[in-house]
Amino acid sequence: MRGLFPIFKRELFAHFVTPLAWVAMTAFLLIQGLHFFLIVQHFAGQLDLSADAGPVQTYFGQTMMLYLPLLFVCPVLTMRLFAEERRSGTIEPLLTAPVDTAGVVLGKYLAVVVIYAVMWLPTVLYMVLVGRYGAVDWNVVASGYLAVLAIGAGYLAIGTMTSALARSQLAAALTSAMAIMGLFMLGVGEFIFPEGVGRDLAGHVSAWAQMNDFSRGIVDSRRLVFDATVVALPLFVTVRAVDAWRLE
Amino acid sequence: MRRRPPAAPPRSSPGFAFARRSGKRIAPMIEVVHLSKSYGAIAAVHDLSFSVEAGQVVGFLGPNGAGKSTTLRILAGFLGASSGKVTIAGFDIVDERHEALKRLGYMPETSPLYPEMKVREYLSFRAELKDVLRSKRRTEVGRCLELAQLSDMAEMVIGHLSKGYRQRVGIADALLASPPLLILDEPTAGLDPNQIREVRALIGSLGERHTVLLSTHILSEVEASCSRAIVIAKGRLVAEGSIDAIRGRGRPEVRLVVRGDEAVLRKALGAVDGLGSPAIETRGELLHATATLPGEGLDDADQAVEQVVASLAKVKLGVRSVTTSAASLEEVFAELTGKDDRPPGRSSPAPVAASGAPRGSDEGARRAGAAEEDAS
Repeated sequence: MRGLFPIFKRELFAHFVTPLAWVAMTAFLLIQGLHFFLIVQHFAGQLDLSADAGPVQTYFGQTMMLYLPLLFVCPVLTMRLFAEERRSGTIEPLLTAPVDTAGVVLGKYLAVVVIYAVMWLPTVLYMVLVGRYGAVDWNVVASGYLAVLAIGAGYLAIGTMTSALARSQLAAALTSAMAIMGLFMLGVGEFIFPEGVGRDLAGHVSAWAQMNDFSRGIVDSRRLVFDATVVALPLFVTVRAVDAWRLE
Repeated sequence: MRRRPPAAPPRSSPGFAFARRSGKRIAPMIEVVHLSKSYGAIAAVHDLSFSVEAGQVVGFLGPNGAGKSTTLRILAGFLGASSGKVTIAGFDIVDERHEALKRLGYMPETSPLYPEMKVREYLSFRAELKDVLRSKRRTEVGRCLELAQLSDMAEMVIGHLSKGYRQRVGIADALLASPPLLILDEPTAGLDPNQIREVRALIGSLGERHTVLLSTHILSEVEASCSRAIVIAKGRLVAEGSIDAIRGRGRPEVRLVVRGDEAVLRKALGAVDGLGSPAIETRGELLHATATLPGEGLDDADQAVEQVVASLAKVKLGVRSVTTSAASLEEVFAELTGKDDRPPGRSSPAPVAASGAPRGSDEGARRAGAAEEDAS
């Protein structure tokens, strides 16, 4: 894991000096803000709420607005990681420093995960706002964020992989967006496929179902195992891909 | 200068068995044995063997597309070889990658950098990657900024720097953690004449403390900064040795301006041992003759010139002028790299032999030449 920490720091730095990062973050927060506003407005008209169907549950589990932006945000966050280094040639000094490939890949990956988490951070304010006017179960909020983080971590790993495989940033962003969307669509298959293997599979990979569970405080370890797979597998492929450049 | 690693893992390579037993690494700084690299069907580097001893400044010469950058990238551990072996200060670049990389500073061609970082930030980042301790990082970065004459630019954003300064950032980066070996790929490419002179002076001063391997296709650069040169063409070694030895491979010439009869002149020159058959042209009443001198190198040639003058005096030709010229490095270079049907690798094998490397380079190159003839 040599090189992990310096590369992690440099990636964070490089991200926050580019205007694109701030544009993506602002757009994301605008969408989430609108989303939250609509939810609150909806619930403001209701007289009483059931225990597991308040604004917090709805925010995390009942609308597409929460993770539709992820299909676009994650590819944008990750597209630069390797594609840009290869285009500009900076990958050469990077890999000829005494680092190892796993360190390089993980350093870069962890940096985008942190950026992703920072992007979500302001949304905690919504929960605080709800808490001021009603009761919020913070454990449920925590499990909601856990799911957001776990699903996002997987999408970011997919983006890291395509950035290492693609020749340009654009190609990296497009392929990872398609891969992520494909995975998301497969999950939606839970509502479409007839009962059988197809539906079980779709239910297993469904981000929608996972958000639905976690938003109600149901932390299902099977879901987390799946998320961990979606993180580990692409990262493994990334390490191999970066090593393979040397042998092309 | 060379530092011994604290704990060298035992290696099976028989070549270094002696070195390890005596507790001292006597391996050369760079050793390349039968290195080949192909991109698909195209062989970029073919059976290349050479070595570089510690303390030398070596020019790595070849026309564009000869495989210079590919070779340097393999030496620096960026590319993998198709076959063959590379060791840096005795450490295999594949099996002991980390130890080898710690001992070399590499500047890739065109010195790619992160444009959004400041010079000092970038070097600090690089120093951290190269395991320079936090407490020493600041002084180390300062030292390298100073050496590369970048101190004034330390707070500039790299994207705003001119090409010459970027190149220097690349050199400063290679110098971080003072590795015993520097590998610089075309350090003067794209610079203006003043910058070229400055970079050469810098390389000259670095040669006092580091072993330097620098690639170039500019010959005057090798003459200016290097004590030795390795010449490759089409991925094969065509010459290796000191600059003078390589230059000596070209035939020096004698040029005469003589008043008299052409037949007499031709006969007089024919009497001199080893002189090439002269080219004579008549300009007015004067004859201009050019002939190649015997031997390789100027010492043999000087004696032949004496004989030529004596011979001309004997037949009473009016000698107006005698000039000799050593073949320029350019001519030798053109000869070495232009033709590929000529058996390569004739030049002094002494450095190779001295390093204890297998003397297979000549044989391999010749074999390669034969293979190419077969193919054509």
